Amino acid sequence: MKLILLPVLLMCLFACAAGKQIRLPELTAIEDVRVDKGCEAIFPRGSWQFVHAIDFSMQDGSGGTVIGVTSLAGDEIACALMTIEGFTLFEAAYSKDEGLEVRRAVPPFDKPAFAAGLLEDVRVIFLAPAAENVRYGWLTGNAPVCRYAGVDGRTTDILPAADDCWQIKTYTSKSAMNRAIVGRSCQKRGNSLIPEYIELRGFNQANYTLKMTLIQAENLGAVTR
Amino acid sequence: MKLFLLLATLSFFVPVRAAAGEPVEQAPVRLHSVQADFLQEKHLQILVRPIISTGTFAFQAPQSLRWEYRKPIPSILLMHGGKVRKFVERDGQLVEDRRMQLDAMQVVLAEISNWLDGRFTDNKMFSVSFPDKQTILLTPKEQGLAAMISSIELKLADQVGLLEEVTIFEGPGSLTKLIFRNRILNQEIPVTLFTDR
Repeated sequence: MKLILLPVLLMCLFACAAGKQIRLPELTAIEDVRVDKGCEAIFPRGSWQFVHAIDFSMQDGSGGTVIGVTSLAGDEIACALMTIEGFTLFEAAYSKDEGLEVRRAVPPFDKPAFAAGLLEDVRVIFLAPAAENVRYGWLTGNAPVCRYAGVDGRTTDILPAADDCWQIKTYTSKSAMNRAIVGRSCQKRGNSLIPEYIELRGFNQANYTLKMTLIQAENLGAVTR
Repeated sequence: MKLFLLLATLSFFVPVRAAAGEPVEQAPVRLHSVQADFLQEKHLQILVRPIISTGTFAFQAPQSLRWEYRKPIPSILLMHGGKVRKFVERDGQLVEDRRMQLDAMQVVLAEISNWLDGRFTDNKMFSVSFPDKQTILLTPKEQGLAAMISSIELKLADQVGLLEEVTIFEGPGSLTKLIFRNRILNQEIPVTLFTDR
């Protein structure tokens, strides 16, 4: 069957692109527990399920619109992509114990690298980074930041008070930015701060943008499956 | 996706004879046009509750189609005169989406005329069976297609000639159900419905 959709998504995640690298900025370190708490608060607490309209585009102008489902329960993540018409393109789950399980992957979404890349995007957006150490401070412009240094050398900056919501920026072990995520129109739902809109710009081996508009946010603690 | 969409479209025409208990190859019923509202339920293993989409649909022979979602993501697919266009809401406005390949849609569109001509069992992609008078079951013939769609079930309304539900089974726990309401048959539809967003 000819699937019309989204070879571009795969390409946009893993194709090569030339561009000016953004480097890890200098941090003016402070000891302020309020900054720490602000950074923790940007991630949903407890078990949640989100449904987003995802408009994706890559540098050459190609892209498309899909519906994305993300389920979070502790360290377990499940996600799915489907067309507006409901055709499931991709479904996978990840847990520390079980690893990555791809339940459905329609070509061209059946490449292992796609699953890994998608799960990484989801992890960065929704889960606090695993860090060897965390530093708190200010960036230029007096933006408070939590800087998480991972065991693999990668760095994650969380700006808990940016653009009326938050920002996350990740850097490679060579200090080159590979993701910039902006949450907008955050709404307080219980103990969690849920953005109505998330924009992710990826600079891995390609430049790509995901614009995610919240359709539905469900606190799974209140739902019986 | 295109296959799914078109199957949903085409299926309007099949039940007319099946519901009457006649062999599919006999007494073709010429439907000129169909319009309906639809409610779409997307079920997935990981979903705590289905994703509900709503919209409207219009088809007019020989090959004009408007498939419009109002919620949750407004989008319109238009087919007319051999051209296919898709509009998707972006930043609050419906804009033409030229980023997607639509050629596959046109290929499947050609199937519509086959169904209208009563060549239902000739379908190259699906085997057809009739579990009961109100159900038509389509099963993919090719392994490649079967990996994506395990079966499609068409449920007929009591009224002869009208389709009530289409369920596309993708795999364990994953299905899409379309429920049609407010159907209008063989009413002339202005061409602009198939050309203008």
